[in-house]
Amino acid sequence: MLRILRIYGTLIGFALIVVLFSVLLPGTFFTSGNLINISQQISMLAVVAFTMTIVMVMNDFDLSVGSMASLAGVTAAVLFSLGYPVYVGVGAALLVGLLGGVFNGVLVSLVGILPFVATLGTLTMFSGLAFLVSGGRTIFGRDIPSEFSGFARGGIPLDFIGLDGQKLPFLSLVALLVLAVVWFVLEQTTYGRRLYAIGGNKEAARLAGVRVKSLRLSAFALTGLGAAIAGLMYSSRVASANPTQGSGLMLDAIAAVFLGMTMSEEGEPRVLYTLVGVLILGVLDNGLTQLSVDSYIREIMVGAIVVSAVAFSSITKQSR
Amino acid sequence: MFFAGTIARGLAALLVLTGVAMAQNVTVVTPYLAQPGTQMYLEGFEAEAAGKGWNVNVIDTAGDVAAVISRIEDAVTQKVDAIVINVDPAQVAAGLEAAAAASIPVIGMDSGADPLVVTNVTSNGYAMAAETSVYVANRIEGKGRIVMFVFDAFPPVQIRGVIADAVFGNYPDIEVIDRITPDVQDGGIADSRAKMEALLAANPEKGSISAVWAAWDQPALGALQAIEDAGRADEGIVIVGIDANPQARDAIAAGGNFEASIAQDFIGIGKATADAVARAISGEEIRERVTYVPTVLVTKSNVNN
Repeated sequence: MLRILRIYGTLIGFALIVVLFSVLLPGTFFTSGNLINISQQISMLAVVAFTMTIVMVMNDFDLSVGSMASLAGVTAAVLFSLGYPVYVGVGAALLVGLLGGVFNGVLVSLVGILPFVATLGTLTMFSGLAFLVSGGRTIFGRDIPSEFSGFARGGIPLDFIGLDGQKLPFLSLVALLVLAVVWFVLEQTTYGRRLYAIGGNKEAARLAGVRVKSLRLSAFALTGLGAAIAGLMYSSRVASANPTQGSGLMLDAIAAVFLGMTMSEEGEPRVLYTLVGVLILGVLDNGLTQLSVDSYIREIMVGAIVVSAVAFSSITKQSR
Repeated sequence: MFFAGTIARGLAALLVLTGVAMAQNVTVVTPYLAQPGTQMYLEGFEAEAAGKGWNVNVIDTAGDVAAVISRIEDAVTQKVDAIVINVDPAQVAAGLEAAAAASIPVIGMDSGADPLVVTNVTSNGYAMAAETSVYVANRIEGKGRIVMFVFDAFPPVQIRGVIADAVFGNYPDIEVIDRITPDVQDGGIADSRAKMEALLAANPEKGSISAVWAAWDQPALGALQAIEDAGRADEGIVIVGIDANPQARDAIAAGGNFEASIAQDFIGIGKATADAVARAISGEEIRERVTYVPTVLVTKSNVNN
């Protein structure tokens, strides 16, 4: 019984939250329209959390993802405002994300700075760059091409499965694609197994012939790329870009990974569990808003839930 | 499981507290709740809403604009009677479209005008500039040399400059000797001060500058510092600003060169927003795309009110 609780406690908690909202909000919460809304609302956080999982597998962190998301957004928007086509802006933003991630990786793996310190430093650097690139302004209106902002409003019509007039948002689709790629890389390739080996015991992994340095570097590059993708999604959703808009993503992403880790028997991050963590955060935001719960109380509750889930899992593990 | 049970109890308690009744539900979404102006809008709004018996749900997304869209979507799902936003409508168009599709009226509380917003309640920038520029013209008896501080790159400030240009242009004996756009990277005071110092140096004779008209308070404060430090505070140079921020109020209360500014009625904007919501809920067609709330000229006589 305890074993079941230990592994499924968070999942059961999530299910209870969903049931609770469905009962308290009959006819509005558990509807296809609202569930599709939630999938779109969490898509940006999901992408950051999925790619954050890659570095957290090695017990590393990337605190710079939020400011990287902002930097990627303003990079694309500034290029749009200079008249470059959408693919140039998007490509440049993704490149910035990849390079920023490589830079983090170099600091952490080659120079040997603690990830917390290294990415705290790059958090500030990327944020400063975002202000510099944008001149501190919000770029919006005619500067943002409609093809770019239209992406976040579009989707695949779901008429063919009976949901007439509804569509699977492109943003949700991007998050699903990123999930599939991260899942494949972490769970189905030797690359992923090696990252888990580094997370288990770095020294043992190195002695076993795992190229720890290059693997850590590449993992940070992927996290940076993910942050840039999320930043572009955010800019598309708000049809604008400003140098601070991604800053809320980092803490939520780490919280989602931690929530997911409570479901793993080994206490390791798994990307599918991270998805559950993201869903818990997203469902709470959506349901509590519909219940008209004060936004500050909402924040306290979300924080308390993260803490209690992790505490619960830690207590049950100790009692083994 | 334990924590989920706790949440269930917490939610049940909250439901009782918030009182889910048949009253009208209005959701206010803002990313800027921490800002003093927004707090005052809400104070006025909630006072009116309480009188009307509405359930008001105020949602602060703490600077997150995408979350504003998400929360508008949630309010639409919840089928609220009206939504109030305090954010640039262009940035939350996706949410406004969802509200429009569900026929839920969205009212702007100093948000900016937009076809998807029933009406935007705000202060009239044209009127504010007219009041301060006419104050200057009257004060110097329609005659003299004026320095203007403007910022044409920012539309809400640009319209103020247009009006002041027109007013001063209408007096044959008023000459605008410079129309300065200060660098606002540092907040606007320091660079305005430097520009004003240069102008004072270029116009050394007493009385060669009659007044400074600033499109907002910071350049007026910078000009005041420059004039005082140049030892020319006793020449009777009249300075006016717009916004009546606390620093400007202090300067006006001190009784020096900084004589007047304009205060927006933030609480009044909140109240007028509630009135607009009531009209929209009742199904009335609101023709004013923008609803203006009167502003107050602040001078030494009323600065402490």
